[in-house]
Amino acid sequence: MKRLIALGSAILLFAIVAAWWTNSRQLKPIVLIPTLTGKPEYCLTCHSDLPAISPSHPIKTFGCVICHGGEALALDANLAHSTMRGGANPSDLSVVQGSCGGTNCHSGLAADNNNHIQRVMTSVQSTYAGAITNILYTFGAQSDLTARFGIRVVTDNQITTSTGVPSLEAFDPTTVSNPFILKFAVNCLFCHINAQPGGIVPPERNAPGMTPGAQPLLGPQFDRLTGCAACHTPNVDSFPQGQIHKLTTDIPYTQCNTCHNRGNYDLQKMTFLQRTDQPQLTDRLQNYYQPIAQFTKCEYELDCIDCHTRTEAMGDGDIHSNEADIQYIRCRTCHGTPTQLPLTKTLTDPNDIAFRQAQLNQVVNLQLGDTILVTDKGEPMWNTRVLPNGIYRLVGKATGQVFTFKPVMGSACTQNGFDQSSAYCHTCHSVQR
Amino acid sequence: MRPSFFHHLHPPTIPAKQSRWRYTLGAGGTAVFLMLVLGATGILEMFYYVPTPDQAAQSIQIISYLAPFGGLVRNIHFWAAQLLLIVTAVHLVRVVFTGSYAPPRRFNYLLGLALFIFAIMLDFTGYILRWDQGIQWALIVGTNLIKTIPLIGNSLYIVLTGGIQPGLPTLIRFYAWHIFGLTLGAIILMVWHAFRVRRDGGIAVPPPHLRTDKKRIHRNELIQREVLAMLLTSAALILLAAFIHAPIAQPITDINIMYGDARAPWFFLWVQQMLKWGDPFVWGVLVPLIILVVLALIPYIFPKPAEAEVGKWFPRSNRLAQIVLAVIAFLIIVLTIFGSLPSS
Repeated sequence: MKRLIALGSAILLFAIVAAWWTNSRQLKPIVLIPTLTGKPEYCLTCHSDLPAISPSHPIKTFGCVICHGGEALALDANLAHSTMRGGANPSDLSVVQGSCGGTNCHSGLAADNNNHIQRVMTSVQSTYAGAITNILYTFGAQSDLTARFGIRVVTDNQITTSTGVPSLEAFDPTTVSNPFILKFAVNCLFCHINAQPGGIVPPERNAPGMTPGAQPLLGPQFDRLTGCAACHTPNVDSFPQGQIHKLTTDIPYTQCNTCHNRGNYDLQKMTFLQRTDQPQLTDRLQNYYQPIAQFTKCEYELDCIDCHTRTEAMGDGDIHSNEADIQYIRCRTCHGTPTQLPLTKTLTDPNDIAFRQAQLNQVVNLQLGDTILVTDKGEPMWNTRVLPNGIYRLVGKATGQVFTFKPVMGSACTQNGFDQSSAYCHTCHSVQR
Repeated sequence: MRPSFFHHLHPPTIPAKQSRWRYTLGAGGTAVFLMLVLGATGILEMFYYVPTPDQAAQSIQIISYLAPFGGLVRNIHFWAAQLLLIVTAVHLVRVVFTGSYAPPRRFNYLLGLALFIFAIMLDFTGYILRWDQGIQWALIVGTNLIKTIPLIGNSLYIVLTGGIQPGLPTLIRFYAWHIFGLTLGAIILMVWHAFRVRRDGGIAVPPPHLRTDKKRIHRNELIQREVLAMLLTSAALILLAAFIHAPIAQPITDINIMYGDARAPWFFLWVQQMLKWGDPFVWGVLVPLIILVVLALIPYIFPKPAEAEVGKWFPRSNRLAQIVLAVIAFLIIVLTIFGSLPSS
């Protein structure tokens, strides 16, 4: 019996050593108590190698959980990740309010230009109302060009523009009988910033009675995330696997191209003709937006965001029926007309939003007293400067590259000054490929 | 050797034949040891556990991942609780299959059965204390079953949950039952059960004139065997705890929205399986109660084990009781297996 007890003791000792060994192999917890939440979180135990997402979101202030959700205390990957908002992308529009929202964050007051989430949720980029409206109108399903449907239900309680509409219903492809509209529904509903490029077929594609249509376009040139990260997390393919952790306002044209340079529509067949020459083209001119488009030098030398303002890209908080209702940057915004110089503004208020925007990209050293160009709506084009000699300077927001340009006034240009359509200006000012 | 307190807990000698492991299976003693382990690890967990709906699951995460050796302690508590049910069930089966409940041990059989019920309730309340999405289904369905009891169901539900749906009062009550009410009851019953074992003449053996093997062993030998059983049980618990972790899931966000796997804890899977057959009161309350009553009546309504046959496996004289228990056990095991299969 004593031998048996000795053996039993040896087995128990072995068990204790084994338990000690497994315990010692466990991760040593790394705690972080972000100042904004004051609550401990242990995400860094595994994720200490992730770079900070942006200088505006320092890890010590924000931590991880305030944006991502998740189980802050769990050291088991499955449990820790089980309650994350939007999986790896908390900026997906389905969860963005919980992740990025809050009056102190990105659903702040419209008056302070801080209501980013409301603006994105109502913008044509996320509602896709423009295309839906145009198609429904063209094929007789509605009598005018006022938007009634979007990708999802959207409401706007505060209309501030003449083209704003109060609400949109969700476009339901299963109720469609017109074959053209049905084809549009099958082929085109991927075209909004919350659509997942590649991989996931959204539920509307699997609706009863629907024939499977084209899959979302696949390929590195189309890779992007959804929600805010669709634009603000550029070049997702450049990150190592699982390390995509960047938000920036330095958005290169290539990011806009993941949606806006994929090919052309064939409205007769109601299909999308994908560009077949990508992504081999590395030359910016070759790679330029829309193979049949006319364009001029600045349209392929600059990044899109150098001219197109955040209101154009993210919306103005109203639901619009068409892209044209919100896109208002024209040639004359920077160049003026033969009879009028472009609109300018001299910065006299240190709280001017231009300074806040300039701080985000930090490519120009904006000073009080500087004169900059402004849009028709008074938005500061803070990356421009009116130089003393009457010449204008623009600094690329993503590249820091410096461009100078002259006003039309005083030049040999014979434009009438009122027609700002693409075809009109491009008659003279276009680049041959 | 001068007998110590622990020696005095044992009779000076016991029959050699009935003290063999292959006869007792060591189940009763192991159950006592597991209760002690549960008490010790439970006390350690109480230093960290917070019995409120918004913090319970998080405090268990703290125990599992952050408290020094907390995960190991929780895993040992979990495994001891699971083993306790198996060991007490084995003990019950052994007692019936050896006819050991024969008079004068009928009352102690009932005490033992009550202890078994206490063990199940302790397991269930402990399971609910997790208050995460893994227990949500069992909590909702289990408490709703109470409502189906005619006349008193609704009142009983409010007494149990402290409201019209599971919430803070429910968790506090389950906690109080787990660490105090049920534990205290189990301790009293356990001491009473052990006292009655001694009072009823120790382990069941035929009367002296019918014994074929009159050999006895000294209590020192018995204690050594108990020590060996404790060593091996401890080793098994520690190894299980080190390599197979106690279940944990994400916190409940809304008690009215069900997430994840709608599955009862393994020891109630047989009831869950029966619930698929129809009326929840009949299958969820009445049938389990009838089974319990049948088990309780085993010493009273079935043919008694013959005196000469007490103390050995499968006496002929109480075959009917053995068959009844075997059928019940078989059905419960089959239903449990069906209940554990992935739902189609």
